[in-house]
Amino acid sequence: MKRLFGEFLKGIIRENPTFVLLLGLCPTLAVSVTVINGIGMGIAATFVLLGSNIIIAMIKNTIPERVRIPCYIVVIATFVTITELLMKAYSPALNRALGIYVPLIVVNCIVLGRAEAYASKNSVKNSFLDGLGMGVGFTLALILISGIREFLGAGKLMGQTIVKGFEPAFVLGMPSGALLVIGLLLGFFNVLKNRKT
Amino acid sequence: MTLAHFLTIFISAVFVYNVILSRFLGLCSFIAISKQTKPALAMSLAVMFVTTMSSIITWLIYRFLLVPFNLEYLRTISFILVIATFVQFVEMVIRKISPPMYRFFGIYLPLITVNCAVLGVAVLNIDMFFINGKAVQGSFYYSAFQGICVGLGYTLAMLLMSGIRERLELCNVPKAVKDFPLGFVIAAIMSLSFLGFNGFKF
Amino acid sequence: MCSFKMEILIPIITLGALGLIFGVGLAIASKRLAVQVDPRLERVHGLLPGSNCGACGGAGCFGFAEGLLSGKFSVDACRVSEEAVKEKIAHLLGQKIEKKIKKIATLHCYGGKKVKERYVYKGVQTCVAANLILGGQKACVYGCLGFGDCARICPFGAIEMNTEELPVVIEAKCKACNKCVLICPKKLFSLVPITSKVYVACSSHDPGKDTKAACPVGCIACGLCVKACKFDAVHVVDNLAAIDYKKCTSCGACVKVCPMKTIRVRG
Repeated sequence: MKRLFGEFLKGIIRENPTFVLLLGLCPTLAVSVTVINGIGMGIAATFVLLGSNIIIAMIKNTIPERVRIPCYIVVIATFVTITELLMKAYSPALNRALGIYVPLIVVNCIVLGRAEAYASKNSVKNSFLDGLGMGVGFTLALILISGIREFLGAGKLMGQTIVKGFEPAFVLGMPSGALLVIGLLLGFFNVLKNRKT
Repeated sequence: MTLAHFLTIFISAVFVYNVILSRFLGLCSFIAISKQTKPALAMSLAVMFVTTMSSIITWLIYRFLLVPFNLEYLRTISFILVIATFVQFVEMVIRKISPPMYRFFGIYLPLITVNCAVLGVAVLNIDMFFINGKAVQGSFYYSAFQGICVGLGYTLAMLLMSGIRERLELCNVPKAVKDFPLGFVIAAIMSLSFLGFNGFKF
Repeated sequence: MCSFKMEILIPIITLGALGLIFGVGLAIASKRLAVQVDPRLERVHGLLPGSNCGACGGAGCFGFAEGLLSGKFSVDACRVSEEAVKEKIAHLLGQKIEKKIKKIATLHCYGGKKVKERYVYKGVQTCVAANLILGGQKACVYGCLGFGDCARICPFGAIEMNTEELPVVIEAKCKACNKCVLICPKKLFSLVPITSKVYVACSSHDPGKDTKAACPVGCIACGLCVKACKFDAVHVVDNLAAIDYKKCTSCGACVKVCPMKTIRVRG
């Protein structure tokens, strides 16, 4: 039981896909303008990750070696299309906010990377937990980055003004702000990591 | 289909909404490969070729296969299939024509398949140049041209970044910010400078 | 009812057809664009060490393997492979190899931290860069600057900087690939046969008085070593002792008499 929980936890801190593995940065930076968007993207990516991990772990023994990458891509693309259609139907506002980054979950390095590195070699149960852990880690990273950007960049959090009379720095809401925030966060985590060793 | 339209596409794809610094597509390869100018240049040219060709092919498939049969929702799957096939094909051609270039690219060539920029520009073309499922006038040329311009924007950002990072190799930076954190902060400053192009109109 | 079935069938047929066309297209392309590879190329390349040092003159180990097959290189051009491996490759290609004496990179300087500094250098921390500013920050303009360019460029990790700010060559790892020789801006390295244990640990051509003022272990060209050598292997040329390795027997007589301890035994 402890080992299973460990599989889940490793995706959150020790092998966090955004800050440690540096995967899937494209959507992370682009959608993290508000926390709501960040959570929405995180949930969508987690859903795709779970679905593709499970399916690939189930069919991993029946795919020939040479065509495995195209097969993985097709499976992932299917789940992304499902996600896209669900989002268009049930939360069109979120869909418009996320824009082209929803279909781009297909080429999100996290999804393909975990499929190739983990789901193709491990059991369904472990792949499910790994996918869950990675997805949660990704969502938490998104919440962190978008929290900083929304609070300091627009003076709001989840759409509510927290501190009155706070003049936000608009640059943080723009693309340069995203790059700045993630650069500084990575540097900060590196300092923590170096201090440990 | 005026010249002004094409110029607007050029300015917006290369400068204002630069594919890497503004839309964040292709960021993984940007940070990983932009340490030296020669691989950066080679990767950019390969990406430009792939984005142009895939813009053309995906537009044709969308217009003549998916729209007539009401299969717009199959866009993601079919586009990524097209891109994966095309990159595989290009890999085979390069291997035949020039083995040194093939070995030079190494693993970066198959990595173009999952480069967000390629799929991104294909989807962007559809979003921008199809209204209610019908192609805008001149849509094909706009899409192809946007493919080229996105490649040019990618090349510009890569060359600037690799030039800066080559110089950075010689400097004493604190260990915590070496490589990636500093790379991102530099990209942030570059992105800020590109904001100056906002507001171009023809 | 019928249209519902069609809604499921049409996408399946469309995607299936697309996949089929792409798959068949790729299969045909892979046959038409197949590259003929000499099977020996992979075998030879697999036997090579893969360090890509370029000492052989080829473009990395793969370039060397191609050159071997085309006859451009001979097997003993590779300085890194062990004898057994070279014999295997020669056997594969039907070539013969001659025995070569192993060489070791040797640093002709022992000053390091002991040498005073003329100015405080705060520029790019590499030997090549420091050398551009008036020949470096050390009082001896011929000596080692200590920033470790050689240690960084050695592909085998055979050079380490010690506490005296001098590079130390680890004999077991050195493959005499010549990279340190080429990168040192003061040209302090040379490849010495492994059987010759004695070397001159100085490269200064300054007159003895100036050398002594700059460095406590520099060669002052006193000539005691020349007198001590029974094999006529040491000579003082341009204020610096030089050993002729064709005549040197590593007897160590010069080491005993050197007043500055400049001539040393390696290791």
